Amino acid sequence: MAAVRGDASDEVLMVRYQRGDREAFAMLVKRYNKPVYNFVLRQLKAPALCEDVTQDVFMRLVQNAAEFKHEARFSTWLYAIARNLCIDQLRRLQHRRHPSLDQPLAADGEGRTLGDSVAAQHPSANAERSAGSSEMQATIIRAVEALPDDQREVFLLREVADLPFRDIAEITGASENTVKSRMRYALEGLRKALAAAGISEETAAEEPDPGVRLGRA
Amino acid sequence: MTHAESQELLLDLAYGELDAERAALVKSHLQGCAECQQEKAALDEVRRLAAPVRELEEPSPGFDDRILQAARAQAKLEHDGNVGQVIDVAGSFRPLGVEAARIDAHGPVKARPAERRRPRWVVRAAVGGSVAAAAALAMVVGNTLEVRRNAEKAAAAPSEEYAIRVGPSAPASVDAALRDAEAKRAEAQAQAPKAEAPAAPSPPPGLREKEMPAQLRVAKRKAAAPLAGRGEGSGGDAPAKLSKDVAPSQSARMDDPQGNLEPVPTSERHRIASSPGAAAAVESAPAAAGRSAVASPAVAASGYESSAQQARHAGNYLLAADLYRRAADARRQEKDLGSAAWNLAHAVECLSAAGRFDDARQVRDELGRTYPAEATALSAARRALREVEPAQPAAR
Repeated sequence: MAAVRGDASDEVLMVRYQRGDREAFAMLVKRYNKPVYNFVLRQLKAPALCEDVTQDVFMRLVQNAAEFKHEARFSTWLYAIARNLCIDQLRRLQHRRHPSLDQPLAADGEGRTLGDSVAAQHPSANAERSAGSSEMQATIIRAVEALPDDQREVFLLREVADLPFRDIAEITGASENTVKSRMRYALEGLRKALAAAGISEETAAEEPDPGVRLGRA
Repeated sequence: MTHAESQELLLDLAYGELDAERAALVKSHLQGCAECQQEKAALDEVRRLAAPVRELEEPSPGFDDRILQAARAQAKLEHDGNVGQVIDVAGSFRPLGVEAARIDAHGPVKARPAERRRPRWVVRAAVGGSVAAAAALAMVVGNTLEVRRNAEKAAAAPSEEYAIRVGPSAPASVDAALRDAEAKRAEAQAQAPKAEAPAAPSPPPGLREKEMPAQLRVAKRKAAAPLAGRGEGSGGDAPAKLSKDVAPSQSARMDDPQGNLEPVPTSERHRIASSPGAAAAVESAPAAAGRSAVASPAVAASGYESSAQQARHAGNYLLAADLYRRAADARRQEKDLGSAAWNLAHAVECLSAAGRFDDARQVRDELGRTYPAEATALSAARRALREVEPAQPAAR
C-alpha cells in the first residue's frame, strides 16, 4: 500500500479511503477525532456521551463513505454528520425516561445535579477541569455552552470546526446571512456574559494561567 | 465602500473570510469610521476571550485507536456479517434485456422502470429464516431464476449493464478480511485497465470460497438506474439527513464501485440481509439453485448482528439489544469471544439508550464476568452506563 503522506489533504485521504486504503482512514481519524470530540462535547454538554457520539460520527463515515462525492469539503461533510448526531442525541436526551442530567439529585431541587456527578467522573468532563483548570476558562466555556442552541452551533462550527460561514450555512440549512446573524448574536451574548462575570481583556491579562492565550486570534 | 457594506463585512473580516481586495476596502473604510472601528475591536476582543474554546480538550487516551477498532468491527459486520443472507450476483453475462434483479428481503427493489412489453429476466431472491429457526435449524437458501426471453428486444439491451458473480464467502476474522482485501485490491489494481473508474472495483473484502454458503451478489455495472441499496430504507437516519443537508445530490449512490474494506460499499451491490425474524422465500439464480447451507453459529450471529444494527439505527433499541444478545450467544458458540463481548457491549448501549438501565447493568455485569479479558468492550459498556451509575468518589 502506498504510504499516506501526513500532509495529504482531507479530500485526497478520502479518495484513498474510498478505494480501500485503511491508512488514509486512520489518518482522517487521527486528524479529526479531537476537534470533532470537542465540537460534540460543547454541543451536547453531556460529557459521558461525547466519546460514543464522536465514535458514531466515524462509524457513519465508514457507512456512508461510498456516498461522499466530493461535492463538499470533507470537513464540512464530517461535521454535518456530527451535527446531525448531536441533534439526534439532544432530542433523545430530552425524551429519555431516566432523570435528566440537569435535574438536581436532592429532593429539594437544590444542589448537585446528575450531570455534575457524571462530569465529576469523567476525566475531561466539565469546564472546571478543562484546558488548564483555570476558573476563567471554565467561565468562558460555560458561557459558550449557555448560548442558545442555534447560536452555539454556529459558534462552534466556526470556532472549533473552523468552517467558513458558507459551509456552516450548507450544514445547517440556513442562509449565510442567517448564519452570520447568529454568529453576531453569539459573540454579543458571550461578550455580555463574560462582562457580567467580570471577565474582560484587562482581567484576562492578569490571569496567570498560560492556558488563556490572548492575542492568538 | 459604504458604512452599511462595511458593517456587513466586519464579521467576515474578523474571521479572515474576505479576499484581499474586499478586505482592503473594508480596512480602508475602518480608518475613517469610528463606529466600525469600535465594532471590529469588540469582535476581536470577544474572539480573543473565547480562545479557551479553541483550546481543544483531549479525549481519553487511545480514543483514536478505539475508533479504528470500532471501524474494523463495523467493516466486519458490513462485509461478512451477512453470510448466507447476502445476495450478491456477479460476473458477466448478456442480460437479454434483464430489467433488474428483484431481491425481496426488506422490500421491493427496482432497478429501473420496465417497459411494458419488454422481455426481461427476473431474478427473485429472498432469504428464508426466522429468529428461532436460525439458531437451531438450517438456513436454507433456495434459488430459482425465472427467465422470460425475447431475444429480439434483448439484443438492444446493454450487454454489460448487469453482471452476475458468484461471490465467495466471508472471512473468518476481520484480520483475514483485511489481508484478503489488501491482496485482492492490489491484484485488482495491477490488473485493472486504466480506463476503469478511478475507484476500481476490488473484490468484496475477505471473501473466500471454502467457507461460503450459497451467496449471490447482484452487481450493476452502470449506475443508470438507482438500486435501492441497503440502508436506504432507514429514512430518519442521520446520514440521510446529512445528505439532504449538505448536498441533495449526495443522496444518490456513487457510480464507482466500492469493493474495499472499510468504506461500506453500497453503490453497486445489493447487500440485503433479511431480519432473522422475517420469513421469506428465496429465489435466486440457477447457478445456486438447489444449493443449501446449514446455518452455522457464525451465520446466525451475522444475521442477528446485521438485524440488530438495523434496529439500532432505526431507534428500536430494545429489539436491537435482544438481537445483540442472541448474536453474542452465537459468537460465543463459535469461540469468537471478542465479537461476543462486543455484541454484549452493544446490547448494554442499546438498553441504556432505551432507558432500561437495570437490564443494561445486568448485561454489563454478565459481560464482565464472562469476558473479563475483553477490556475494550467492557469499557464501552461501562461508558454507556456512566451517566446513570451512582457517583463515584471524585478522583480529582
